[in-house]
Amino acid sequence: MVFSSLLFMFIYLPVVLAVYYISPLKWRNLWLFIVNLVFYGWGEPVYIALMLFSISINYINAIMIDKYRDTNQRKARNFLTFNTVINLALLAFFKYFDLFAATINQIVGTEIVAPLGLALPIGISFYTFQTMSYPIDLYRGDTRVQKNFISFGTYVALFPQLIAGPIVRYRDVAEQLDYRVHSADKFSSGVRRFTIGLAKKVLIANNIGVLWDTYSAMPTTELTVVGSWIGIIAFTFQIYFDFSGYSDMAIGLGRMLGFEFLENFNYPYISKTVTEFWRRWHISLGTWFRDYVYIPLGGNRRGKYRQLLNIAIVWALTGLWHGANWTFMLWGMYYALFLIIEKLWLLKALDRAPNFIGHIYTMIVAICGWVLFQLDSLAEVSSYYKSMFGFAEGGFFTSTDAYYLEAFAVMLIVCVIASTPLLKNLFNRLPEKVRSVAAPVLVVAGLLIPTAYLVDSSYNPFLYFRF
Amino acid sequence: MTKTSKWIQILLFTALISVFLALFLAMPDVLFSEQENRKLTQAPQFTLENLFSGKFTQKFESYITDQFPLRDRWITVKARSELLTGKKENKGVYLCEDDTLIEAYKAPDPAQLEKNIDAVRTLSESADVPVYFALIPGAAEIHSSLLPKNAPNDSQKDVINFCYENSGAVNVDIYSALQSHSDEYIFYRTDHHWTSLGAYYGYTSLMDAMGLGHSPLTAFDRRTVTDEFFGTVYSKSGINWVKPDTIEIFAEQDEATTVLNYSEGEAVKTELYDYGCLEKKDKYSMFMGGITPLITVETGNTDAPTLLVVRDSYMDSLAPFLQNSFSKIYFIDLRYYKTQFMQSSIRNFIRENSIDEVLVCYSVYNFATDANVFLLGL
Repeated sequence: MVFSSLLFMFIYLPVVLAVYYISPLKWRNLWLFIVNLVFYGWGEPVYIALMLFSISINYINAIMIDKYRDTNQRKARNFLTFNTVINLALLAFFKYFDLFAATINQIVGTEIVAPLGLALPIGISFYTFQTMSYPIDLYRGDTRVQKNFISFGTYVALFPQLIAGPIVRYRDVAEQLDYRVHSADKFSSGVRRFTIGLAKKVLIANNIGVLWDTYSAMPTTELTVVGSWIGIIAFTFQIYFDFSGYSDMAIGLGRMLGFEFLENFNYPYISKTVTEFWRRWHISLGTWFRDYVYIPLGGNRRGKYRQLLNIAIVWALTGLWHGANWTFMLWGMYYALFLIIEKLWLLKALDRAPNFIGHIYTMIVAICGWVLFQLDSLAEVSSYYKSMFGFAEGGFFTSTDAYYLEAFAVMLIVCVIASTPLLKNLFNRLPEKVRSVAAPVLVVAGLLIPTAYLVDSSYNPFLYFRF
Repeated sequence: MTKTSKWIQILLFTALISVFLALFLAMPDVLFSEQENRKLTQAPQFTLENLFSGKFTQKFESYITDQFPLRDRWITVKARSELLTGKKENKGVYLCEDDTLIEAYKAPDPAQLEKNIDAVRTLSESADVPVYFALIPGAAEIHSSLLPKNAPNDSQKDVINFCYENSGAVNVDIYSALQSHSDEYIFYRTDHHWTSLGAYYGYTSLMDAMGLGHSPLTAFDRRTVTDEFFGTVYSKSGINWVKPDTIEIFAEQDEATTVLNYSEGEAVKTELYDYGCLEKKDKYSMFMGGITPLITVETGNTDAPTLLVVRDSYMDSLAPFLQNSFSKIYFIDLRYYKTQFMQSSIRNFIRENSIDEVLVCYSVYNFATDANVFLLGL
């Protein structure tokens, strides 16, 4: 199930909220636990079993780790290792098996490992990471053990952030699981956040996505220099509004249920450096890799060369996390390169240069990066780069480009403005009275106009679903 | 933000999502959408097997979408807001001046086109009777100047030229006939078909190609049978605030004319105009009663030749004009006639029914995409 669907908004959500608020406090987690499984199993009911298995393993191992942590360090460590291996093995099996099979077969030159062609359990990359964080934090003494199976299960499968993040670490919600405040303040801010996310996803991302689909489907012979830039810029906006819209909806839904999740995006496209971009883009993933990979590898404490190597390792993994394709790893390495260059000297240089240079440089790196991210093979990637930089046969600009530029002009301007905090700041500067009247109107519009698009639309992809 | 405002936001949000849930549960399911001219998805049957195969959940989502309360209104809201944001089209349909809805043309798959034109050539070369070949361009070609500037719209003229070079038949220049009357009401504004006037110009170019005389426009008493026709392009677009089309009749059915429809295999007597269809959404099917594999028209002109027409639905509104020129006309639509032809070829059909002349007449769109045209060459 996805949030931006009629099923979720008009059947699942009203039922979940109604029963949740009618129930006495002590039953609420159980209710969430049940509806989480419905949400998760909607597309692939069989994988509910996988989810229950994953919850149980982590739950039991955590109790064992807690039991031995202070008395038998080695035993506790063994349980942690065992648990981490199982989690990663599940992820590797369901997500990467076919990639490894294909790679091995290609190297050997014959099919020695048959690909399985399994459907990817939705959100496995997200929930594996967040589940794993709990026993690790427990071992490190950063959180306390959760003895209540339902509470723990509710955390792992919590539907707002189950399938596309934010990746919520256990320690960040541990207290909220057993005690959380429900208030009109929180619920109404959840409503506002949800409708903003819905509008970003349905009205902006889906619409600008049509432009990218048009250009990415064009044969190289017709793809011009300007056209290929329009296309990938459209994707640049699509993926941001798609993913950050989804995170907004998740955070909003969490608040409606009394949870407070950490932010996942902070206007990444206004960054002046690539380093800053990654502090603003998919924050929860960056945090996870920092806490559970980069720092354990030694971070920056073991000399410069080791630090650069650590950055490279983290980003190769970050890339691969995004999808079972070597192009994703390449995309990660591409960013590692820029991050390392910035660390070595570019940050200082950019600091002295005028702001607009940093903005342009960062956007070009991000835009060119998305080509690597979104196209499926190196052949397609290099052919698209050729078009972008005038080494292909498509020419510079045609009347078709003029048509699409005109037809999507309003949309592109909306995208640029909505990528900055401008509207938010303007809204907050309004007198309180105006805001009090405007907010309910915007909530209704933000719910109903996307609904019209959902009723009519056949185009409602969800980009981060594959991860 | 005031506390009151916050409560209002909560109430509005929860009320809206619950109200539509209640309406969805309370309102009876709709079988058929008049506006979209299609059957709507019905509630899927729940079985464990359906659930675990994912079929149930998948179908349930399209069920909600199709049966969502006030569906037609939502579609209009969406179409309107698309056009408001500067888009020129909704679902590939352009809203042009004078409430004209035009769907842009996309160049066909060359492989299918070549296969189809090869079939025409095979028929032309092997048949013992003259074969005429006519392609009808659509509104996107004839009225291309109405489309927004630079809108992607491929040439149908190129397709016609390519086909005419390779058909091996006597080609009929319908394109020029329509082009020279492009400022007249020759295409419906809300449907992909030509109007009866457009069909009349098609008829004149056909007669010219066959060396037969044609009746002047003044010979017909034009009469309007409906001015409330909303066609297929309207249905597809969601742009439902345009004015309706008018359907006219030019050539009346002669008293001596007998029409037999073989839609179920057996011959059923019918008429050139099925006025009952004017009560339905798809009013164009008034012409010859809509889709059918085979329909025959026998006229009082017993000395005139017999004609076989292999065609699509554009022919329905042209057919009445042919009554004076032929003794008997067989109209075959290969899309629905397929099974019969697996046993007997078109060539056998020509021989068995003593056909004197053959006309292959399609709209450019259908000819280039229909996968059944190969049957001509068997």
